[in-house]
Amino acid sequence: MWADDSETKILYVQTHGADDPGRSATPFYLAASAAAMEFEVMIYFTMYGPTLLRKDVVDKIGPKGDQGQPLRYFIEQATTLGVRLLVCQPSLALNDLSLEDLIEGVEVIGGAAFNDLAASADAVISF
Amino acid sequence: MPEPSTPAVDQVVDCTGLACPLPVVKTAQAIKKLVPGQVLELLATDPGVEPDMRAWSSRTGNDLLGITKQGDVFHILIRRVN
Repeated sequence: MWADDSETKILYVQTHGADDPGRSATPFYLAASAAAMEFEVMIYFTMYGPTLLRKDVVDKIGPKGDQGQPLRYFIEQATTLGVRLLVCQPSLALNDLSLEDLIEGVEVIGGAAFNDLAASADAVISF
Repeated sequence: MPEPSTPAVDQVVDCTGLACPLPVVKTAQAIKKLVPGQVLELLATDPGVEPDMRAWSSRTGNDLLGITKQGDVFHILIRRVN
């Protein structure tokens, strides 16, 4: 699934969800920085992570609560630079979500694809 | 004595007051609009900008011409290489 074998590739993993806003934004910051360095970057949302991508959540929470930018700002900063967002079906089910509940552009993968991405990445960073 | 020569700046990106990762992100976006050989000047107050821009320049292959600090503001000159 990586587009270019010659690029440096980083896979971030986000396991925390909308109940923990303080842990919501940093993976997007780091992913945006990596994409700006011309790395190929994906963020995989598992466990509670997919709840951060809910259409009805991204404008309502932010890393500092009512202060500062909402989560949508950090997500779009990353995706504008080419960062891809991935979820897996069991994590959607765990959170009673379907892909239609999430913002546009999220891709669904499974465990084999995740492990393949991880094995071929230059770094895997988990939150 | 003449001043040491500094390259002509083709574009200024003002990131004063903005925090990580915006100086890196805005520089990356702006430099794509220059042609190779042109020079971008980044103005930033984020205290981590110096190591960040050294890492960014090294990774992207662009030429970091110099970093100076005037007051709280870092002035970072980068020449687009490719």
